[in-house]
Amino acid sequence: MSNTILEAENLCKFWGGLKALNELNIKFADKQLHSIVGPNGAGKSTLLNTLCGAYPATSGVILYQGKSITNLKAYEFCRAGIGRSFQKTNIFHDATCLENCCIAAQQRIGGSFNLFRNRSTNKSITEIANSALKQVGLNGRADTKAAEVSYGEQRQLEIAMVLATDPKVLLLDEPMAGMGHEESQIIISLLKELKKHYCIVLVEHDMDAVFELSDLMTVMVDGQHLITDTVENIRNNPLVQDAYLGNDDEVF
Amino acid sequence: MSIFSNKSEKIFIYLFFVIGLFIPLFLEGNTFYINKLSTIIILAIFVMSLDYLVGRTGLITLGHAMFYGLGGYIFTILAPEYEAVNFWIYTFYVMLISGFIALIVGLIVLRTSGIYMIMITLALAQMTFYFFADSVEYGGQDGLFIYVKPETSIFGLSFLDLENETHFYYLCLLSLFNCFAFFKVIMNSSFGRVVDALKENPDRATALGYNIFHFRLIAYVLASSLAAYAGYLFALQFGFVNPGMMSWDISATALVMALMGGLGSIYGAIIGSFVYEGLHYYIEHLTEYWMFFMGSLIIILVLTLKKGFAGFLNDLSGGKGNE
Repeated sequence: MSNTILEAENLCKFWGGLKALNELNIKFADKQLHSIVGPNGAGKSTLLNTLCGAYPATSGVILYQGKSITNLKAYEFCRAGIGRSFQKTNIFHDATCLENCCIAAQQRIGGSFNLFRNRSTNKSITEIANSALKQVGLNGRADTKAAEVSYGEQRQLEIAMVLATDPKVLLLDEPMAGMGHEESQIIISLLKELKKHYCIVLVEHDMDAVFELSDLMTVMVDGQHLITDTVENIRNNPLVQDAYLGNDDEVF
Repeated sequence: MSIFSNKSEKIFIYLFFVIGLFIPLFLEGNTFYINKLSTIIILAIFVMSLDYLVGRTGLITLGHAMFYGLGGYIFTILAPEYEAVNFWIYTFYVMLISGFIALIVGLIVLRTSGIYMIMITLALAQMTFYFFADSVEYGGQDGLFIYVKPETSIFGLSFLDLENETHFYYLCLLSLFNCFAFFKVIMNSSFGRVVDALKENPDRATALGYNIFHFRLIAYVLASSLAAYAGYLFALQFGFVNPGMMSWDISATALVMALMGGLGSIYGAIIGSFVYEGLHYYIEHLTEYWMFFMGSLIIILVLTLKKGFAGFLNDLSGGKGNE
């Protein structure tokens, strides 16, 4: 595979006796949208949370640009260039959309330990925040409180905040969860644009969107890697159909 | 960008400090009231530092009075017994040492949060309380006396005589103003931006690449050394320190005052302290069951004014503010 940017080797995450991720090997290439699908409980969200450092891996290695980042602390993953969005909308509701992105941008610009400099005087932070909002098409909402914009716009803001941290890899956890058809279309066209510049790892239940967007798909079952292939091949793969629909031998 | 978050705050601060400046003129010679006001202003500094910690950073502590007491003890232990020392130099010492203690304590207590942090701060404060209450060297339950008050000269010029009640009152008022201004500045700073974020959503702040522990630690050290400064002023006013200053009910009362004022509003701490102490003083003179009435009133106030007096004033002035 060409120019791998993020890679997991024998990655395991156990919750007591439950093997949420079991010896997983997976590679993500730069400037590609790689989606991860699988039935509920397959370990998709656990994989994202482990890749972004929120859950420490039980064993295995995470390689980012060829270097192991397995032992970094949760906040250091973002600094390395791995940004993630959340399944449940996770924004700062009391702040304006612009301020939400400023919080993200300030981490990258620095000066966060400055007790005396007024936060609004740093123009480069505001610039980054504004351009992040523009990227997702929320520039008209900059001064609206995050709690007051529509649900779909909050999901867009969620992505804008990740972009403002200047990531190389975007881990998106169900960016279209709970959205109507029209709102989904906005995100789909946004992701089409973004995948030209970033490596995107997408976990999503909306299969139409996944088939439309993905360069590569990985199917996971019971914490294990089942298959990674192009959309066309996945569609017609009997193993995948088994995983989703169950085979005849299974006792319900 | 204005330093004030809303109109009612601006009006209150102007009114309070203008009245505060001129009120000694009308109380000429009545040292009882001047002293009472100084005490409440010192308390307001303490409550303000707690309000910042609880209301702005979301760290709930029940051991804040530990630093209040330590502020007094640090001065009394450090300063020579029968010699006037310089007030400003010792202000620096008290805040530096208490800040250092807060750093060590913070490294321990900030590993926890929520109810666990309440318990561990309470435990540490009680340990410190009993350490001083049982120590022969530091006067046990009776505490220590301050025989000579510090002098306040800067480069040989002295404007304030701490033995004079009115002078001391102005020192307290100036301290409260500085404290308020300091908190407003750090709340509007780049640092304040991160603190706001980690209070509302620590997980998201971490995912954005912030090590929230560092920010909490800095906030904890700042608030604690200001609490120590308030304790230092208190010790100077009354001329003694005793372990009672760091007993847990001082922390709890301060928390009630911060709640009444409006958590996180900073200026609400001033209102909370004055209302609480005012009610206390008034009801105490009416009946010996003052605690019963006081408690009932607090319950009513907290239930009716959900955002405290600061929130109430903000609603009155019809302002939305940005909180």
